[in-house]
Amino acid sequence: MSGVGFENLKALIVEDNAQMRALLRALLNSAGFKEIAEAAHGRAALDQLCARRSDLVLSDLAMKPMDGLEFTHHVRNHAQSPNPFVPIIMITGHSEKHRVEAARDAGVTEFLAKPITAQNLFSRIAEIVEHPRAFVRCNGYFGPDRRRHQVENYTGPWRRQEDFQDMTVR
Amino acid sequence: MKKPAKNDAHLIAPDAYPQMLGEQGAAHALRTLRSAQTAAKAQVAMEAAIPPLRAGILQYVKEMEDAAGDLPIMFEKIHEIRGFAETAGLATTGRIAEILYRYRDDMERIGRPLDMTIVALHVSAIARAARTEEDDAGMGEVVAAELAALVARRLAGCEQL
Repeated sequence: MSGVGFENLKALIVEDNAQMRALLRALLNSAGFKEIAEAAHGRAALDQLCARRSDLVLSDLAMKPMDGLEFTHHVRNHAQSPNPFVPIIMITGHSEKHRVEAARDAGVTEFLAKPITAQNLFSRIAEIVEHPRAFVRCNGYFGPDRRRHQVENYTGPWRRQEDFQDMTVR
Repeated sequence: MKKPAKNDAHLIAPDAYPQMLGEQGAAHALRTLRSAQTAAKAQVAMEAAIPPLRAGILQYVKEMEDAAGDLPIMFEKIHEIRGFAETAGLATTGRIAEILYRYRDDMERIGRPLDMTIVALHVSAIARAARTEEDDAGMGEVVAAELAALVARRLAGCEQL
């Protein structure tokens, strides 16, 4: 694979707006992706994932009949999911805080806020390539570690109630 | 002191599951993503996308107007407009759609009904901005600022009740 970047990778775009799909495809093309599949909603995207390998997924949030949340949850958790670890970049409106939190809890890898720019899209892809996230499997969640930064020698206070419970159990 | 992991959590390190690219491939990909050549290609792609995106926005505007009286459908279209308008070069259109969408979210949050006059004013302004923004961006900005102020006053009044 020496000297080969995205040329041999397969991307999947999940977006209900045809013009935006075309734009995302063109941007991925400009970064070197050659094999790009498209789906207009989550259900069609799951079919695509089963039919062919996908190394990167760009998904809108609001779609019908299956939205980006349900799609992501299915990819991460379904027993027949072909690749539960596939990086998923969720495209969101910037004012939907509660939905962004829901997407994070569904197992999204990165967020791309609208309006979309090439610079923002490429920085999210670079983040995935340069700093791949650990995955966590615990009760009720499977997906990228939701804690972005961990300080190895942290000596400050523990802030979560369960931190204290962990301590007492131990 | 290192924070202990939760008892029921299993951490899977990045090197324990398949990555998109190997080390050399990743280095090459990062150079590509950050190159001037890629940026130039992407700029061409963004510019080429503007005419079809604008056509799509105008279609959403028509559907928004046609959905008058059906709020869920109308806000579905407004959501699409606010998401795509700025990418299509219609920044004021997107801004007015965003003000209206946030107004709806805020009224839901405080459990108050929408003022349909405010909704109608925004819908009209979105349509006008989308159809004339290229020729009249300055006026659109003034309208957007006035609408934002109107919504802020109305929300403040509702929250005081």
